[in-house]
Amino acid sequence: MRRYDRTELVTALILIAPFVAIYGLLFVYPVAKMILLSFTKAPLIGDGDWVGFANYAKLFKDRLFTVAVWNTMYFVLLSVIPSTILGLFIALGVNRLKGWMQSAVLACFFLPYILPVSVVYRIWGWMLDAQFGILQYPIEWIFGERVPVFRSLPLFMPTVAFITIWWLVGFNVLLYIAGLRNISAEIYEAAELDGATRAQVFRRITWPLVWPITVLVATIQLILQLKIFDQVYLFAQGGRTDALLSLVWLVYRDAFQKNQGGYGAAIAVVLFALIVLVSVLQYQALRARGEK
Amino acid sequence: MFKKLMGAAALGLVMVASGAMAKETVVWWDFLGGGDGVRMKKLIEDFNAEHKDTIEIQGTTLEWGTPFYTKAQTSAAVGEGPDVMTYHLSRLPLGVSTGTLAEISEADLEAAGVKAADYTPASWNAAHIDGKLYAVPFDMHSIVLYYNKDLLKKAGLLGDDGLPKGLDGVDNFTAALKALQAAGVAQPLSIHDGAGDSMWRIFYSLLGQEDGVFFKDGKFLDGDNLDKAVKAVTVMQNWVKDGFAPAQVDYPASIALFTSGKAAFHINGVWEVPTMTDLKAKGELFDWGAIAIPTFFDHPATWADSHAFAIPNNKGKEMTPEKKKAVLEVITWMNKHSTFWATAGHLPAYMPARDNDEFKKMQPNATYAKLADTAVYDPVSTLAGVASPVYDAAGNFLMPAVNGEMEPQAAMEQMRDDLQGQVE
Repeated sequence: MRRYDRTELVTALILIAPFVAIYGLLFVYPVAKMILLSFTKAPLIGDGDWVGFANYAKLFKDRLFTVAVWNTMYFVLLSVIPSTILGLFIALGVNRLKGWMQSAVLACFFLPYILPVSVVYRIWGWMLDAQFGILQYPIEWIFGERVPVFRSLPLFMPTVAFITIWWLVGFNVLLYIAGLRNISAEIYEAAELDGATRAQVFRRITWPLVWPITVLVATIQLILQLKIFDQVYLFAQGGRTDALLSLVWLVYRDAFQKNQGGYGAAIAVVLFALIVLVSVLQYQALRARGEK
Repeated sequence: MFKKLMGAAALGLVMVASGAMAKETVVWWDFLGGGDGVRMKKLIEDFNAEHKDTIEIQGTTLEWGTPFYTKAQTSAAVGEGPDVMTYHLSRLPLGVSTGTLAEISEADLEAAGVKAADYTPASWNAAHIDGKLYAVPFDMHSIVLYYNKDLLKKAGLLGDDGLPKGLDGVDNFTAALKALQAAGVAQPLSIHDGAGDSMWRIFYSLLGQEDGVFFKDGKFLDGDNLDKAVKAVTVMQNWVKDGFAPAQVDYPASIALFTSGKAAFHINGVWEVPTMTDLKAKGELFDWGAIAIPTFFDHPATWADSHAFAIPNNKGKEMTPEKKKAVLEVITWMNKHSTFWATAGHLPAYMPARDNDEFKKMQPNATYAKLADTAVYDPVSTLAGVASPVYDAAGNFLMPAVNGEMEPQAAMEQMRDDLQGQVE
C-alpha cells in the first residue's frame, strides 16, 4: 500500500524544492568543489594542475599543520567542558531567583554574548595590557611583576579560552534555563516529601533530566571551538603566530595570504572530516551515557 | 531662418545632452581608515566638485591588509574590480604574480602627463616589476623618531634649533637614553615591540644603514648579510635588555607611553603625526617633534613603503579609452594635490608637491622629509611586503629576539631558514 498519493508527493516536492536547490547551490556544490580543489595545485582564484594526494602528503610533513591541530585540540579541551559546566552552574543559580531579579541577572550573564569579537578583543586587550591594564595590579601583586599574557606562550591559550568562555557562556546559560524550566515542579515536591537532600535532588533529578541539554550544549560548543579563529588571530597577530596557529587560521594563511588555494582546501577538508568525526563520536558517547 | 534657429538650438541641446552623458564615473577602492581616511575623503570631494560635469569618483573604503588584497584579487579575476585602487608598493610583486594588476603603459603616462622625473627615484623604482610600471606612487611613508621637547631639554639633548642633538651612532644614542634616565625618565624609549611589523620597520632601517641585503637572487640573508642582521637585532635587543624600553608593548600602549610623557622617544610610522597634531591642538600634549631615524651605522637609511594608485586587471572587462583617460586624470590630479595629503604625515611621492612653501612650512614633515632620499623599500618578492610571510617571520623570530626571548644569532638563522623554505 502506498502511504502518499501522487498529489501529496508533488506538493511535498514543490515545497522542499527551494530548500534543496539553495542547499545544493550554497552548500553541496561548494563543498564538492573544495574537495576537488584540494587535489590540485590551484592558486586562490582559478584552476590548477591535478596533483592527486600531493597536498595531503605535504600536510603531514608540515610542522605548522601539526602545531595547528594540537592548538585547536588544546583550545577545545580548555573551553568546551568548562563552558558547559559553568553554564549549568550559572543557570542553576539564576533559576533560583525570582521576577525582575532573575531577568536582570540573566541579562548580565548574556550581555557579553552580544558583543562582536573585535569589541571583546579591545576590552580584554586593554584590561590585560602590560603597561596600562587594570588587571595588571592584581597580577603584579600575586606574581611580583607585570605579565604580558598575550605574548607569553604558555599563558596564551588558557587566557584566550577564559575570555571565550566569558564571552559565550551566556548562550549556554540560556539553553540550560530553558531545560531547567521544563522539569516539572511536582517531581521536586515529591522528592522533598521523600526527604531528599539538595545534593540528592541534583544528582538524581536535575542532572539526568537536563542531560539532553548538556549533550546539545557540549556538541554546539565542540563544533564552534573546533572552528576557532577570530579570538586567537586577533590576540596573536604580530606575535609568535607560528606557535599559536589554529586550523582555520592555517587555512586562511595558506589560501588567502599565500595564494595557495589547493593546499588551503586540503587543510579545510581535513578540518571538515575532523569536525564530523569528533562531533559524531562525542554525540554518540554522551547519548549512550544518557540512555543508561 | 526660424528653422535654422531651431536647428541650432536642437544641436545645442544634443551637445549638452551628450556632454552630460560623457560624464565618467570612476569606481575607487581604498584601505584608508583613521586620520588619513578623513583626508582622502576631502580630496575626493574636492575632485568631484572640480570635475562636476566630467568625472565622478565613487569611493569605497575597505579593510586594510590581507582582506583588501584578497578582495582586489578575487574581484579582478571575475571582472568586478574597481577602476582604480590604492595599493602598497611593497605588495606589488604578489599583485603582479596573481595577475591582479594592469600594466600602465608609456603611452598612458604620456597622455596623462606623468613624468618619471617628478617622482622620488626609490618609489618610482618600487612601482616597477620586471621593468614594467604597475602603479603610480602617491606618497612615501616611513618611520620617524618622535621626541618630547620638554624631557629632552631637561636631559640636555635639545639643540637651540629645537631639534635633538648627538643621537647618531649606537653609543651616542645609548648615552642619550642614559642621560634621559638620569633626568628622571625611567624608560625613555617606547617602541611597539609586541609585534613583528613594527620591529621589521626598525630592523630593516638599521640593516639598510649597514648596506645589508635581506633578499637577493632567491636567497635570504646570504653570506655576511646574516652578520649585519644580527648586529641590527642586537642593538634593538639591548634597548629592552638594558631597561631603556619596556618589553612586549602593544600598539596603542606604545603611543600612550609617549603621549603620557612616560617615554621621551617613540619610534613609529609617520601616520601617527595626525594623532600628535590633534592632541596638541586640543592642548593635551607637550611640545613635540619628529625627525628621521638617527644613523646608527654607516649612513642614513630608513625603511619606507608607498601608497600608490593601481588599475586592476579586470578579466573580460576592457577599459574604454574614455574611462582610462578619466582614471589617469584622477591619479594625476590626486598627485598634484598631494601637499594636503602630507598633513596625514606621509611625504608626497610627487616631488613638486613637496617643493612649495605650504609643504616647507608644514612641521614636523618638512624636517623629516630628507629621509625620502635614503629610503629603503621592502625586498622585491612575493614573500615580502605588507601582511606577507616576511612580516609573519618578523613576529616569529625578530620580535622574540628584541624582547630577549631568543638570541639574535639563532633568531636570524631561523628567520632565514623559515623564509628560505618558502621560496618555490
